[in-house]
Amino acid sequence: MAVIADGVALAPVPRSPAYWTGVSRRFRRDPVAVGAGLVILTLILLALFAPDLGLADPYRSSMLRRLKPIGTPGFPLGTDELGRDMVTRLIHGGRLSLFMGVTPVLIAFVVGSAIGIAAGYVGGRLNTLVMRTIDVFFAFPSVLLAIALSGALGAGTGNGLLSLTIVFIPPLARIAESVTTGVRGLDYVEAARASGAGRWTIIRVHVLRNVLGPIFVYATSLISVSMILASGLSFLGLGVKPPEPEWGLMLNTLRTAIYVQPWVAALPGAMIFITSISFNLLSDGLRTAMDIKA
Amino acid sequence: MNFSATEAPLVEVENLKVVFHGARSVHAVNGVSFTVRPGEVLGILGESGSGKSVTLKTLLRINPERHSETTGRIRVADLDVLALSGAALADYRGGTASMIFQDPMLALDPVYTIGDQIAEAVCRHRGVGRREGMRRALEMLERVRIPSPERRLKAFPHEMSGGMRQRAMIALALACRPKLLLADEPTTALDATVQIQILLLLRELQREFGMAAIFVTHDIGVAVEVADKLAVMYAGEFVETGSVRELMRDARHPYTRGLLAANLHGARKGERLEAIPGAPPALDRAPTACSFAPRCRFAEATCRTERPRAIDLDPGRMVRCILARPAAATSSAA
Amino acid sequence: MSALLSVSGLVKHFPIRSGLFGRANAVVRAVDGVTFDVADGETLGLVGESGCGKSTTARLLIGLIQADAGRIMFDKRSIGETLTLTELRRGVQMVFQDSYASLNPRLTIEDSIAFGPSVHGIPGATARALARDLMVKVGLDPTRFAGRYPHELSGGQRQRVNIARALAVSPRVVILDEAVSALDKSVEAQVLNLLLDLKEEFGLTYVFISHDLNVVRYISDRVMVMYLGEIVEIGHVEDIYAAPRHPYTRALLAAMPSMDPDARTAEAPLSGDPPNPINPPLGCRFHPRCPCAEPICATTDPGLYVAGARGHLAACHMVIPGSGHSKAQAAA
Repeated sequence: MAVIADGVALAPVPRSPAYWTGVSRRFRRDPVAVGAGLVILTLILLALFAPDLGLADPYRSSMLRRLKPIGTPGFPLGTDELGRDMVTRLIHGGRLSLFMGVTPVLIAFVVGSAIGIAAGYVGGRLNTLVMRTIDVFFAFPSVLLAIALSGALGAGTGNGLLSLTIVFIPPLARIAESVTTGVRGLDYVEAARASGAGRWTIIRVHVLRNVLGPIFVYATSLISVSMILASGLSFLGLGVKPPEPEWGLMLNTLRTAIYVQPWVAALPGAMIFITSISFNLLSDGLRTAMDIKA
Repeated sequence: MNFSATEAPLVEVENLKVVFHGARSVHAVNGVSFTVRPGEVLGILGESGSGKSVTLKTLLRINPERHSETTGRIRVADLDVLALSGAALADYRGGTASMIFQDPMLALDPVYTIGDQIAEAVCRHRGVGRREGMRRALEMLERVRIPSPERRLKAFPHEMSGGMRQRAMIALALACRPKLLLADEPTTALDATVQIQILLLLRELQREFGMAAIFVTHDIGVAVEVADKLAVMYAGEFVETGSVRELMRDARHPYTRGLLAANLHGARKGERLEAIPGAPPALDRAPTACSFAPRCRFAEATCRTERPRAIDLDPGRMVRCILARPAAATSSAA
Repeated sequence: MSALLSVSGLVKHFPIRSGLFGRANAVVRAVDGVTFDVADGETLGLVGESGCGKSTTARLLIGLIQADAGRIMFDKRSIGETLTLTELRRGVQMVFQDSYASLNPRLTIEDSIAFGPSVHGIPGATARALARDLMVKVGLDPTRFAGRYPHELSGGQRQRVNIARALAVSPRVVILDEAVSALDKSVEAQVLNLLLDLKEEFGLTYVFISHDLNVVRYISDRVMVMYLGEIVEIGHVEDIYAAPRHPYTRALLAAMPSMDPDARTAEAPLSGDPPNPINPPLGCRFHPRCPCAEPICATTDPGLYVAGARGHLAACHMVIPGSGHSKAQAAA
């Protein structure tokens, strides 16, 4: 009666790794993604340990030392328009820029996922109500929306964070809803319902782990956008206020120096560029690593 | 269905081998040889992983070129198919040889009307103007018995039902009167009453246009309805070939016998089915022994160490199994 | 034999919404008044083509969708009145066609099978032991398969997992919705043998939905044929195959490809595609394609009527005496 029918001819399959082990293995084999990851790691470490690195004071200005070029002894990357050392301004600026890049996306990930997953799983009228409301926000170009919200709330780091978070909730909610709707229709969710499982059990066991991955990957691709938007807000005077070091703000204040020291004036832009591209490549690499089924 | 035995074959395939390289290697086709004469229908019967679809796709050169390594010889209508490229290859596809698929949406572009797509193919291969192309398109739609063909010329694929899309795909494939029709499980996804209509249509068109055809399927009934001769494929090799009559009445290879038994056509209720145990081999290495031996009831020691040779019982009748050796005991024919 | 599952007057319509506020302006009449019984311990085969409503009926039986009208009784208790949905879902389970989509790609085989019992309150370790036990029963070695993921298994192995998962909550009825259709023929035979063994060991009742008439004939005790949301014929398997009384059943049987190369099919039994259940024809729903249709068929919908012994019923005017059809007998 109990017959092991498949004992024959099973080609030996290597012991299956857990899902995330497989993902990290595939990720490590991708040189571009690993490179990008290292760059980001370096930037984060520099940002975290900036005060302990023995750098010059980022707020100490000196009118005598204004706009020194790159390579000046004692100021390897020159000085800005108020005579502050660029190296320390850039590194300290990284703290705020990275913070303004990652935090809104992180909060929006949590809030947007919750909204999107709930709307996607429940479906029907609730879904329509929630998603069409989200669509209204999504219809505004993100830059415009960020500026409008910042303008309404007033300048300052906290308000900048808030407006950026609001800007990113709609796209994340949309992705969450779309992925959840896709998973919701699959047979294994139907089978789980047929086993008699309750709604929350199904979401916890079956939906979440299949849905958070793709949403997370999309979120990482938004970090670079967030950084650029934050820099843009500071550039326009709506986000971070001087004398805080922040790359976008530095771009603004160095703008007038572009004919005097063009290389120095371009440095904050270069940092924004490097960081954004690294986040995008990292996000791409993650997506590829998570996509493959053995 | 009589053709002169001295007529030169339209399709000659010699020792075809296809290996896919990627994360893993897959030896999809391991030395396949066959010929098809003009007007003849060859059915390739096999299950998933047997390599039948890959063989067909190689005949049209639609395997992913970067990842596949193809050796052997393929000649169709005096063309060396593996050496074709560029404009010659584009002329060959659709002009000399044409393919129909299981999913019609693989062949039909969703953003163009049926009439546009057929006319485009005609214009490209025959060099005629658009009006003539549309006329030919209408003619083809009538030939494949689509209801209201004038209306369907302006219809998009998504506006038609499954059976009609299949007919539209056949019309598209045959619009330029190719000499060779390749069919990759075209009726597998259809309902039974639609399947038999499409099979009869294909048989009729094949006879009318005098095309040779190679039909890939996993369903024995379908193979019997359309093919003149059959080849049974397993793990990238032909294990048995012969006319349809010969294979249905006197199958020799244990795999063919197992497939026939698993067809349930004559199965009696309440009796256990004679299932072939196990599963097909992983194709990550070229075969060094009989690929079917692990699942074969009659396997002997030699089967696991040596690849069986192809034994020709008659012209066109081949069995790749040591049991078919003329000197083998008569118990093998039981 | 007592009826384990009893269905009467089951109706399910799906509205097609369009327009700004989703006004329903057309209705898909997927299941339109279906009545039948499934006896304890039998295998009821359910056949029909696309649009006939067999999958919708299956989902209604297991409570995945709610019927618009009609009554389902399981073990003589009516759903909603004396039977909760949870209890129904313990008694009736389903195996789906797509073996890959039926399994959560992120759960191991063992966890997938153990999910059902754990939902019903069985503690984790016991549920997993039960899962391993079932894996042995369906022919999968637990030491090799328990920790694997669905993508590492073949189609046949996955379907065994799905069967184990359905059996994990100890149901009495298992609905097999085209469960072997996507498998290779050699694997299909293995799985069919397994299903028969399990039926005997656990005393199960099967509802076997398939489009493959050979498989249905082999495995079923009785067969039900559906067309456009209605039952057109039902009876013992031998009676249906040897003496089909409804023209659609005859056409289905004639549409099977011939296995004899000297006796190939000469003519298709039906022309055209199976119709869409959105606006079914008035009268007998099959009459536009029926070779025997007469004026009476276009005006009156025949109900199921006795067409032979042992509960053989067919919904055709030719079977009903005094119906007005030229082939019908005179009224008794």
